[in-house]
Amino acid sequence: MSTAANEPILHAQGVVKRYGRFTALAGVDLRVVPGTVHSVIGPNGAGKTTLFHTLTGTVPVSEGRIVFAGHDVTREPDHVRVRRGIARSFQVTSLFANLPVRENLRLAVQGAHPQGAFDMWHAPGRQPAISELVDAILERLALQARAGVAAAALSHGQQRRLEVGMAIAARPKAIFLDEPTSGMGVDDLDAMKSLIRGLAEDHTVVLIEHNMGIVMDISDTVTVMQQGRVLVEGPPAAIRDDERVRAAYLGNMITGGRQ
Amino acid sequence: MRALREHGGLLLAAAVALLLPATLSSGTLATEVLVYSLAVLGCNLLLGYTGLLSFGQGIFFGMGSYAVGILMTRSGLPLPAAVLASMATGALVAAAVGWFAIRQRGTYFVMLTLAFAQLFYFLAYSLPQWTGGDNGLLDIPRPPLSLFGLAELPLDTPWRFYALVAVCFLAVFWLLERVTASVFGRTLLAIRENEARARAVGYDTRLFKLAAFALSGAVTALAGAFHALMTGIAPLSNIEYHASEMILVMTVIGGTGNLFASVLGAAFYVLASDWLSTLWPRWLMLLGLLLVAVSLYMHQGLWGLVQRGWRLAVRGRAGAAAREQA
Amino acid sequence: MNVYLLQVVNGVGIGMLYFLLAVGLSIIFGLLRFVNFAHGAFYLLGAYFCYQAVQWGMNFWLALVVVPPLVGALAWLAERLLLRRVYDQPHEFHILITVGLALVLQEAVILAWGPLGSNVATPESLQGVVMWGSFIYPKYRLFVIAFTAVFAVLLWWLLEGTRLGSAVRAGSESAEMVTLLGINVFRVFGLVFALGAGTAALAGVLAAPIRGVEPFMALEALGVAFVIVVVGGMGSFGGALAGGLLIGIVQSVMSTLWPEGARLMIYVAMAAVLLLRPHGLLGRG
Repeated sequence: MSTAANEPILHAQGVVKRYGRFTALAGVDLRVVPGTVHSVIGPNGAGKTTLFHTLTGTVPVSEGRIVFAGHDVTREPDHVRVRRGIARSFQVTSLFANLPVRENLRLAVQGAHPQGAFDMWHAPGRQPAISELVDAILERLALQARAGVAAAALSHGQQRRLEVGMAIAARPKAIFLDEPTSGMGVDDLDAMKSLIRGLAEDHTVVLIEHNMGIVMDISDTVTVMQQGRVLVEGPPAAIRDDERVRAAYLGNMITGGRQ
Repeated sequence: MRALREHGGLLLAAAVALLLPATLSSGTLATEVLVYSLAVLGCNLLLGYTGLLSFGQGIFFGMGSYAVGILMTRSGLPLPAAVLASMATGALVAAAVGWFAIRQRGTYFVMLTLAFAQLFYFLAYSLPQWTGGDNGLLDIPRPPLSLFGLAELPLDTPWRFYALVAVCFLAVFWLLERVTASVFGRTLLAIRENEARARAVGYDTRLFKLAAFALSGAVTALAGAFHALMTGIAPLSNIEYHASEMILVMTVIGGTGNLFASVLGAAFYVLASDWLSTLWPRWLMLLGLLLVAVSLYMHQGLWGLVQRGWRLAVRGRAGAAAREQA
Repeated sequence: MNVYLLQVVNGVGIGMLYFLLAVGLSIIFGLLRFVNFAHGAFYLLGAYFCYQAVQWGMNFWLALVVVPPLVGALAWLAERLLLRRVYDQPHEFHILITVGLALVLQEAVILAWGPLGSNVATPESLQGVVMWGSFIYPKYRLFVIAFTAVFAVLLWWLLEGTRLGSAVRAGSESAEMVTLLGINVFRVFGLVFALGAGTAALAGVLAAPIRGVEPFMALEALGVAFVIVVVGGMGSFGGALAGGLLIGIVQSVMSTLWPEGARLMIYVAMAAVLLLRPHGLLGRG
């Protein structure tokens, strides 16, 4: 569990993101303690996914500073941050749709050591370490039977699991999961929940979720966002009872398995 | 069987290289097929494997022609060195053009390659001391090939030159097969499939695209060099928009699914143009119609058609066999 | 008369024609989000139909009125039969199908009128020059400037002031939204494509007495149109005007200083804009 003495593994200060005249993030501060599960919740349009984009390097910040594991990564693009130990899954499934599941994972594993990908002579498969890791992840995702199938042919729930798998493959220090359960049916939800729980044992997990059941159950810290700012932050129990949070969600029924 | 699958393309390419002398009477025409096959392979590397639609292949083709032309007429370099130098030129120019072009995506990227193509054309036009301007570089020699100082292979007749081109073509085809099947090649395919995802898992996609450009440039410049040696001239038309357009058209018509499709596309174009243009000078209209048809119905090009036909035939035979057994 | 002033006026004339050539392409990109490689071919058809009309003894003025809508109708057919089928395909196929169409049209022109060029006579009423103090200038070219200026105003009114125009502008923001509002987006696409082709054809008709007709002007026109659309900003009416005039004037002035450089330079400008400011001078992207 988190204690005040722990150095945050991720420290975002005053993050601002503007798109033309629209301000998506109006100055966000975030501290993530290593080894914890830190959830980010908030109504639609709060800027949660945009925050993720800036933290993982998918988009550059307009202002602010992001420090990860002691490094100032503010100016670093996403592919560089992977080597720092940041990996993510996307809210809208973004896989290599026409490539087999196994190849998706191989690419993700190799991506953590991209210099090796400039090998123009050898076919992939010569490094047992990579294949072993791919097999291990397949097992963890319970997708061994579908390893040779194109990612697009998986069921939605399986695709969402593979999304998470792509992040695991980089052996990151921190995993950023953007609405991993979005669109999932009840059966798949439990599998995803235990997958995320399992992740928390070896990684720091930063999670955007609408499913309050999962958020309240597994989070150590919850940050509530609204309109590009942090509204309130604290342990799940405190958030659940907070008046401001209630007010922010008024009219916004958050239920599990939305979208 | 596995070796057949892995090297099926190379075997087919070798078959074509052997068939051409057997079926054509003109060594120049046969060489033209292989020369454009190389150019289309270069284009396919970008389009089919990296997902980059380049209207600038003529730049590298033309630069290859000019480089070999300049070196063979003004320096004492032997033929192999001149050819290698033009490949290096192509790679460098392609890396430079690519470095700029990949700063944009989608339509903007396409238009950038178009702008550069025009730019190089007008540059070539306005530097006649290097390129011969409108006339091009003339009288490019084709001296005998010296084999490590031991023997001399004359290249004076079209078929003798064809033999050299065929050997080089097969070597390049084999190399490209390795590259496209390699870790690098698979990474290019991933970038084509979903660039955002590729970046998110850690690949600097710009570097990979740049490498693809350099490779494409080298292969395309080789084609240009052989073209110049074949005809003895390095004309302005090799670097003109029409050249870029036709190389692209051949690539699409052949199919972007695999390497042999490029040979198919080039062979189709060169042979059809040779045969049809005497019958009907406006045969390009048919090519245009074919391009429209490919865009509507045949995204996999001629190779896709061949694949479909093959599958139908196999299924037909399997069906017949099943019926016989029942 | 000062040779530079002459070149600037020439440049304005060329610039206005360039504007006509480019505005259609720009609007098509703005709405349909793809680059029409057949645009130069429509310009070509306009020029050649005009030539043929005059050969048949038709009055130039009549040709001016009849030819652009005719080409627009052909373009509308092409959109309906061919282009509509590739909208949901990757953008490569939009480009390739219009490249194919361009080839077909160009070859058809050569088939009908031969590979060599021809001249088109300037209409009688506009032959000769205008003299205004020391300012001497061909009547026809002045007419072109005036006519395109009036046409530009009409076109602007069409885009800003009418329902069709609003649909076009809204459609380029979000085609989906427009459909939800009950407007048949596809019908709008077809009309826009026809409009674009029609303005290109109009440019061809107006240019014919100045440049004559020749099959390879399609490629040249396409290249120039691309440059203007990029520099001015894709999807922008004002950009096509600004870009057209800018390129026209600069090219005209450069042609007295360094002729080969003029062509080279416009493509350098195109590349520079794409790299530094891809939305061009006035584009929204």
